[in-house]
Amino acid sequence: MSPGVGIWRCRSCRTAVFPQRLLCPHCHGQEFDEDRVHEGVVEEISIIRHMIGQPDWKPRRIANVRTASGPSITVGLRDESGPGAVVELFEDEKAPVGKAKVR
Amino acid sequence: MNNAAIIGVGQSAYTRRPEPGQSTHTFIRDAVVAALRDAQVDAADVQGMAVASFSLAPDTAVDLAWKLGLSLRWLLQDTNGGSSAMNMLGHALRGVETGAADVILVIGGDATGLAGYGKIASNYNIATRDHLAPLGHGGPNGVYALVTSRQMKKYGLQKSDYGQIAIAQRAWAAKNPFAVYRTPLTMEEYLAAPMVADPLSRYDCVPVVAGAQAIVLAHPDRGPGGRAPVRIRAHRASFNYDNQEGDGLQTGISTFADDLWKQAGVAPRDIDVASIYDDYPTMVLAQLDDLGMIAGHDLARYCRHDIGEKRVPINTWGGMMSAGQPGGPAGGLNGISEAVLQLQHRAGDRQVKNARLALATGYGMTMYRYGGTAAAAILERAP
Repeated sequence: MSPGVGIWRCRSCRTAVFPQRLLCPHCHGQEFDEDRVHEGVVEEISIIRHMIGQPDWKPRRIANVRTASGPSITVGLRDESGPGAVVELFEDEKAPVGKAKVR
Repeated sequence: MNNAAIIGVGQSAYTRRPEPGQSTHTFIRDAVVAALRDAQVDAADVQGMAVASFSLAPDTAVDLAWKLGLSLRWLLQDTNGGSSAMNMLGHALRGVETGAADVILVIGGDATGLAGYGKIASNYNIATRDHLAPLGHGGPNGVYALVTSRQMKKYGLQKSDYGQIAIAQRAWAAKNPFAVYRTPLTMEEYLAAPMVADPLSRYDCVPVVAGAQAIVLAHPDRGPGGRAPVRIRAHRASFNYDNQEGDGLQTGISTFADDLWKQAGVAPRDIDVASIYDDYPTMVLAQLDDLGMIAGHDLARYCRHDIGEKRVPINTWGGMMSAGQPGGPAGGLNGISEAVLQLQHRAGDRQVKNARLALATGYGMTMYRYGGTAAAAILERAP
C-alpha cells in the first residue's frame, strides 16, 4: 500500500477531483496537477455481507469519506472506524483504503 | 408534427433462474410478440426500434432487428440503465411525432444470471472497475447502503420506514401474476431479514431476474379500437446533473421537476398512479421528494402515513423489488407499461379506480457514489 490517495487538482481553479476527469467540472480547464490526500473523516459506513455469485464471501467494511482536500470518496476500511472518525488514507493498487489515524 | 401515443405493451415471463435455451434474446422475442399482439400491429409495420440491455452483446440493436426480421428506418440503442426506458420513450415519442417512423417498438430485456450480473456490477464503468470493485463494494448494494445511511441521518428515517415501501409493494405484487415474489410481507419479516449491506437488508434490494418488456408507440388512431391510447403530456431527462459532487439524496429529477409539471399543466396532487424507479426504497423517496410529491419534505411521515396507512398507489405492479429486476432497462419499462395498463383500465385486481393521469420515472447509472441519469414523464389517458 502507498500512503495517500491520488487526486487531481485543476491547474486553473484548483478544484480537487476524484476520480480523474478530462475537463474540470467547474472551469472546464484541461490541465491537472497530480496531488495526494492523506486523511479524511468517515461520514457513513456499510458492511458488505453478501456478494452476488460469491458464496464464500467474507464481510468487508466500506465507508464514504470526506477528504481533507474536498472530494468525498468511497474507501475500504481496514479497521473498525465508524462515522466521525478521522482516517489515514492509502492506496491499494488504484483502490482507496483507510484506517484510524494514530494521534 | 404527428400525434404519438403508447398503443400496446407486452412482457415475457420473469424468472429468477432461466432454463437452458432461454436467453436475453428469447425473453426479448417473447416481450415483442406480446406487445405487437397487444397493439394489434403486424411486425411488418414496425418502422423503428429502440433497445436497451446489459446482456445483448456482442449483438447490437441492428442484430436484434435482424433476428426479429424487422427492416427499419429508425433505430436506437440506449445505455442509460435504469433511465433507459424513459430515455427511449422520449426519443420514440419524437420519432413518431416527426414522422421518422410510424410505429416504434421500445424494448428492454436482460438475462444475465447472478454470476453475469456480478461481472456487470464490478465493471459498470472505469471508476467502478478501478476504484470500487477492488474494495469488494458489493455493486450497487454497497453504493446505496451508504446513500441510505445518509438519507436516514438527514431525514430522521427508521429502518421500518423503508419497510413500509417494501410491504406496500409486495401487497401490490400479490395482484400481479408476472411478479416473482407475491407472498405478503410483514414488518416482522422485513425487520428480521438478513443484512446484505448495512443498513440494506434482503427486502431493500431488488431481486435480479431474467425477462423483458416492450411497448409500441404510434399515432393514437393506430391503437386497438375501444381502448384509450396513452399520450405523454410531458417528458424530461437529466444526465450527470451534479458531477457526483453532492450527497445523492437529490436526483437529476430535481433539475427539471418544475419544468415537467409546467409542461404537463398538472400538479403532483393530480396524479392518480405512479411508477417510481425502485432499485432501492431510498431512491423511491429521493425521486418522490424531487418531484414535490412529499409534503414538507417529511419523508418519515410519508412512509408511515401515505404509504403505510393510505397505501398511495405507487408501483402498483409490485415494483422491481417484488416483481423482479430484469436489468434496469426492462425494469424501467415495466413501470411505464404498468402506467399504461392503469390508464387504460386494464390492470385487473390492482386497478386504481378511474386512473387518468400517471407519473413514471427512471433513475440509474451508478457512476461512482450514486446514479447520474434520471428521467420522468406524465402520461394521460387520452379522452
